Order: sequence, then C-alpha cells, then structure tokens
Amino acid sequence: MKPYREQNYYELLEILPDASPLEIRRAYKRVFELYQDESIVNYSFFSKEERQEILSLLQKAYLALIDLESRAQYDRRLIEVGLLDKKGQYSDKAKEPVPIYDFKKIHFDKFEPGRRLEELKERVSQNQLIRKIMDQDILTGADLHKMRTELEVPLEEIAENTKVQIGMLRAIEEDNLELLPPAVYLKGFLKSYARYLQIDEKVVVNGFIKHVGEGK
Amino acid sequence: MPNIWAIGGGKGGSGKSFITGNLGILLAKGGYKTLLVDVDLGAANLHTIIGLPIPEKSISDFVNKKVGTLEETVESTPVRNLYLISGAMNNLDIVNLAHEQKLRIMRSIFKLSYDYILLDLGAGTSFNTIDFFMISNSGIFVTTPEPTSIENIYRLIRSVYFRKIRQVLNSHDFRALAEEAQGRDGRATVSSPDILLYIMKELDPKKGEILENELRAFNFKLALNQLRKQDNPNIGTLICKIIQRHLAMKMHFVGNISFDESVHNAVCKKIPFLDLYPYTQTALDLRNCHKNLMSVSKAEPILQNVVDQ
Repeated sequence: MKPYREQNYYELLEILPDASPLEIRRAYKRVFELYQDESIVNYSFFSKEERQEILSLLQKAYLALIDLESRAQYDRRLIEVGLLDKKGQYSDKAKEPVPIYDFKKIHFDKFEPGRRLEELKERVSQNQLIRKIMDQDILTGADLHKMRTELEVPLEEIAENTKVQIGMLRAIEEDNLELLPPAVYLKGFLKSYARYLQIDEKVVVNGFIKHVGEGK
Repeated sequence: MPNIWAIGGGKGGSGKSFITGNLGILLAKGGYKTLLVDVDLGAANLHTIIGLPIPEKSISDFVNKKVGTLEETVESTPVRNLYLISGAMNNLDIVNLAHEQKLRIMRSIFKLSYDYILLDLGAGTSFNTIDFFMISNSGIFVTTPEPTSIENIYRLIRSVYFRKIRQVLNSHDFRALAEEAQGRDGRATVSSPDILLYIMKELDPKKGEILENELRAFNFKLALNQLRKQDNPNIGTLICKIIQRHLAMKMHFVGNISFDESVHNAVCKKIPFLDLYPYTQTALDLRNCHKNLMSVSKAEPILQNVVDQ
C-alpha cells in the first residue's frame, strides 16, 4: 500500500479505473463516512488538520472523476506516466434495454404472415396425429402442446403474433389450472392460439373447456 | 505449538475478560484443550467470569519461583477441557514485570501443551500488555462503540506498531529513523507512525522491507463489544478499514457482540454467561465470533516466535 498522499484518485476512492459515475458517487459516500466529522470511527485517529486534508483530497478526487471531461484529462495524465492502461479506462457503453419478456423476440420479417399461415394450414391438413387429436372429445394442454410441436411452431412465435402473454400460453399447455383466467378470457386466448396454428378453433375451445370444467 | 490468542483493548471495562472467558468455554466445549491465562496482573478477575472461587495458585507463584514450572500453577475448572492460570495476587511489585520475568513467562507459555491458550490482557498500553500481545499469533482487540474505547484501541495499536519497529531495528537505526522522520514531518512519531515505514524504506530499502513484512505478519482481529441497538453496526468494519488503510496492518473484524443487561447478572452470580443465558442474542454473537475466529485463524500460519529473538 502506498502512503495516502501518493495514491491516485482511483486508489483514494478504492475503485477501479473503469468505474462508472454511479460507482464513483457510491465510493465517495463510502469513504466520506469513514472520515467525516461526527463519526466516532475515526475519533482520535487523525488530528483535525489531517482529517481535513484527507477530506479535501477525497473531494478533489471525487470532483475530478465525476466530471467526464476532467476525468478524461486525468486519465490521460495517468496514462502518460504509465499508471493506467488505456484499456482499463471507463467508456460509457450504451446501455442495453432491459428485457421485458423472458424470451428473445423473434422477428419473422423474412416471410409474410399470410404465407406462413398457408403453410401451416397445409401441414395441418396433412398431419395424421393432429387429425387424431382433433377427433378427441376432450383436449388437454398436453394435446395442444403435442400439436404445436408437431407443427414446429415455437411458443414465442404465437405470443408475438397473437399478443397473448407467453406465460398464459405456457399455463394453457401445461394445464396449470391455477394460472388460467376465467372462462371468458380463456376462450379468447384459446381461439387466438388455434387460429394461429390454423386448427379448428371451435374444437379447441370446446375440448379444452370441457377438460378444465365449466366451473372455471 | 499451541494457538495463542491474546485478547486486549485499551480501555478497562470493555469486556476483555468476559470475552476471553466465554471464548475459552466455547473452545473447550468444542473439544479443544484450552488454557486461559490471566495476564491482567493487578486486576485479575478472569476466574470470576468462569465461575471459579478465588484460586489458590496463581501466576505470581511462578514469578516468585515458588513453583518450578508454569504448568504447576494451572487450575482445572468445572468446564471439561478448560484450564486456568489465574493472575490474582496480592503482591504489588509484581504488577510491573521485569523484562526477564516476562520472557520467562512467555517461554513457558509456548512450551505448554494445549490446543489453545488465551491470554487475557489488562487495559492500558504498558509494555506488559504490548509484549504479550505481540507473542500471540492472533491478537484480538476488544472495543465498545464509544469514543473513549476506540481512542484507546487506536493508541494500543499504534504502540504495538512502534514497538515492532523498535524491535526490528537496532537502537542506532531507530534513532536515525526517528530523527529523519521528525525532521520531515512532525506527526510521524506521534499520530502517523505509518510515515515511519515509508521513510525507513527510503533510508534503507532492505530493512524497510523486513520491517514491512514483520508488520504485515500481524494478524489482528477486532471484536466490537456492547453494541446497543441504537449503535451503527458497521463501526467495527470501518475501524478495521481505517487501520488497514493508514497503518498497513491486517485487521480482521470478527463480529459485533450485543449489549445485554444480563451480563451483569451472570457476573454477579459468578456463573458463566453462556451457561446462564445460552439463548440470548449476546450468546449467539459470542458463538458467531468464535466461529469467525476459528475460520480466520485456521487460514493463517503460526507466527514468528518473538521469544527466541
């Protein structure tokens, strides 16, 4: 450890040279707590002048680093004397948007929606398994899931296009009765789901409602 | 070699004996053969904390050569695995041990075959306290969150710091260093002993390095005793930080020990606190400190033997 007076601003504030302004502010608050007047922590450890000296030094460090322009200047000086690596410098990376959904949005710009639906329709009509499932009186979430995987349609795609929350779609497929909404809404979701997959919506709604029971 | 923990702290009444006694009980209950040594000569009352009547044997028997070995002054206690060397005595002149006597005690302590030896040091910054502090591989400072106590802790730590510098350098070097330092900065020998180290490094890099390593070798711990609800629980960590930043010494915070009115009851009843009130926050804190101390001290090497120097 270097003597206090020879430390650079980053060392004084106990931060790395690539610290963000927020980190700098926090660090300053932290060291200020250590040396402030009323703190009994530093009681008798420093003389009044010493503490004042340290506090003003810290303030100088803080003010130099919190302003981006003066910070760049200070960094340049540190780089000149070889105390700082250029790579270690702070750069304001554009913050990435916080993801709202728990999936990566998939964009289907490549094919027009109309063509996608036609393609699905064709595959539904040719698929034996789907026909077999659709002949059942009762449809469970697992059945819906089976049909969807048969068509190779990701759940995200349905959510994206129908605007039904992916959690809801998942709850339907997993037969998670507790998460399902009242029947009125559920019917709507099922309709959207079936419509997107190009399967008979009436069969899907009736079959699934029968499965969960009208009481819902 | 036994693990030697010295428990000290500048101020009287901060709970050194209380913590020593209870840590000893915890160690003994953990299956370690533990010896408590009351080095608070002149104001010894560790025996009361662990619920022993005034002992017949004491360390003064050894100092006065009434008995041949230190081992003979050991008293067994009601707690299994826990032993005590009392410091209780009536002989006034013994309070200030001569250097030879101190060395004799230290040497004998090192020879004892126990897993843990806890030294309960007296208040103040006399050489008595400091030297015992320096032979332990784990010095534990006890402070309360009050300015008076903290002030004394800092004073004690600085004394240890100076004492170490004096020990490493011969008197000629030390005088040269002190003069140089005084000339450069009036505070060097008073409030900022850390400046000494840097000046020493400039004057004589080789010795400076030895000195720095010696100072680094200290593994000090800090326990904050009598923390009341309204106190800032971070004080201990902050104190350690100040010491690490400005004195270049390792200081490890081992925990807060809550203030508890019932400590008074336990002492008055002469029953160990941990036995009388095992389910209090304070008892929990003590166990926690004990746990932290064990995990910290396991990681550190057995310290240099000052006695051989």
